[in-house]
Amino acid sequence: MASTQINSGAQSRALPTMRQVVESAFPIIVIYLVMATIYSVVQPSALSLYSIESLFNNSLPLMLAAAGATFVILQGGFDLSVAGVISLANVVVAVAPIEGPLGALANFAMVVAIGLVVGAVNGYVVAYLRIQAIAATLATMIICKGVALLVLGAPGGYVSDFMAYELTASIFGAVPIAVVIAVAVMMFWSVFRTTNSGRSLLSVGQDEHAAALSGIDVAKARFMSFLWAGAFYGAAGYMLAAQTATGNPNGGDPFLLLCFAAVALGGTAFGGGRGGVTASLFGAATLMLMQKVLFAVGVSSFYTGVIQGAIMILAVLFSAFVQAATSRRNTP
Amino acid sequence: MQNDNAMTNAGAEQEDKRTTAKVSGEFVTIVAIFGLTIAMILASRAISPSFGSWSQVETILYLSSFLVFCAFGQGLVILVRGLDLSIASVITLGGVLTASLMNGSNEGLIYLVPMILGACVIVGVVSGIGVAYLRVPPFIMTMAVGLIVYSLCLGFTRGTPRGYPAPLLSDFMQGKFLGVPAPVYLLLVFVVFGTVLQSYSAFGRKLNAVGNNPLAAYIAGLPSGLLIVSAYAVSALCAGFTGMMLAGYASGATLRMGDSYLLPSIAAVVVGGSSILGGQGNFVGTVGGALLLTTLATILTALGIEQGWKTIMEGGVILLALIALREQSFAFLRDVFGKRG
Repeated sequence: MASTQINSGAQSRALPTMRQVVESAFPIIVIYLVMATIYSVVQPSALSLYSIESLFNNSLPLMLAAAGATFVILQGGFDLSVAGVISLANVVVAVAPIEGPLGALANFAMVVAIGLVVGAVNGYVVAYLRIQAIAATLATMIICKGVALLVLGAPGGYVSDFMAYELTASIFGAVPIAVVIAVAVMMFWSVFRTTNSGRSLLSVGQDEHAAALSGIDVAKARFMSFLWAGAFYGAAGYMLAAQTATGNPNGGDPFLLLCFAAVALGGTAFGGGRGGVTASLFGAATLMLMQKVLFAVGVSSFYTGVIQGAIMILAVLFSAFVQAATSRRNTP
Repeated sequence: MQNDNAMTNAGAEQEDKRTTAKVSGEFVTIVAIFGLTIAMILASRAISPSFGSWSQVETILYLSSFLVFCAFGQGLVILVRGLDLSIASVITLGGVLTASLMNGSNEGLIYLVPMILGACVIVGVVSGIGVAYLRVPPFIMTMAVGLIVYSLCLGFTRGTPRGYPAPLLSDFMQGKFLGVPAPVYLLLVFVVFGTVLQSYSAFGRKLNAVGNNPLAAYIAGLPSGLLIVSAYAVSALCAGFTGMMLAGYASGATLRMGDSYLLPSIAAVVVGGSSILGGQGNFVGTVGGALLLTTLATILTALGIEQGWKTIMEGGVILLALIALREQSFAFLRDVFGKRG
């Protein structure tokens, strides 16, 4: 156990090679590809651009939410505010739609600002007042849901045409914008994890005291992780609004558990120090794909939950198995 | 500077583990929570004369009993560094089985009750085995098991739960004894039993040891795996029991009946002063947390304010309670207590 941690610590300090980037998210990428193959065999129409587009548009909000949650989980924290921020961002965009590309950008700035404010509150309360993250973010989640209900009492509103149509379409009629965004987040992460902020995030998650002794501002690293998380949740709510073209004050609720399931599927350790955003993105995509596969295979809708739950447990066991196998090979 | 802070805090935490400091810290938390709850009930009197009456206290005790039942199990799981997200589904399982198997008759109650609770315990054992032996993170294991159980309930009932609980159960849940709702007595018995089990029995002390330091507990020869499994089993038992009581209270079951207890069960435990990181907790604090949350919800509902504001205030009170009840706030009080003792 201890050797695994030391080993992954050494990895995070070195510059990441392509191999390492893939390796960290390797098990979940394999699971995803296997599932995608099954899906395309069972349902050949899944390979049309339209299906791929809608699949990724459906998946993107969860992917962004899982990416955000990963920042907090990596430093050893927990963030339940995801459901509240997504709901709030979703209704704000639907209540104040601004037309045109610049309007979409302005809306985006609004939701990111909301995410940052909530993240700052979470970060302050958890990192500086030292309140248990799960409890503090439970409270901020409830508050955000309340504010969302005040903004929009019942599902309704509409988003700008640009968001509803352009952001859910494809570039050059070939690559869905959702895929472009997901790849951009992966690239962002592969750079971020090599920066000082990225490294302090991981080292705080691995060993808080060692990180503090080596001069890392632990509280600041924690605080920043909540800011990043909030911004990503805001973006997730934004894409949810774009995909549904409407606002729902309870729209974030399903994300609460799914988001952490996605992070866990990706192999990011709860408790911190091991894992990454790329893996979480694939974890989220896998969860969404799984629903499609189960539907395509013809599982009775009453019992899809049984299989989803079983696959979730098996996937986590598989990730753990692969991780154990690779770390054993790397240990001298 | 930051390092200094971290060091002092680490020092404070270590001191906490000494028996005297821990007891007085927990004691202050509990007094503060119960004080806050009573103050809220008394203050509500100023808003409307119908508030703050004895019958309102009865209602709060009655309503909070469901939360107290399932929060006890949640507290034990949190004590061993876990988290039980299957509570909502297991409550539903208990409720659905109660309604459909009892089917409105008192016949066979003797074997049906243990059977229903047994089914719930099996769910907990499965979660526990996954966490303790397969090393699946508790969050993911209990969530997946919850999903599976919910889906089975959905399939079993074909989407609409039917049937009624036994009249005996309904009568008990809706009846009064010496002018006080019968479930309030059950609550009192449960609180005493739960406190003894968690803080004074050998079982509870072993769970504390596993939560405090699993490695030390293992070296000391405690069967950690078995203890963790039993914590999840007890949690599922409590959730199933909650479901059964809820079905008796509402004279039927719904598929979503457990949903509103999942997050509050965690909130009650944490507001009650237990550490989500395990190894530290007290059932009386959890009961206080549950009473505080229920009182707040009851008063806000009675005031008839907008759902949005109500939700904001609920979250705000949890946050304020956490900030007010955090360790550092007690440093001063604890000093005073220490000097007196």
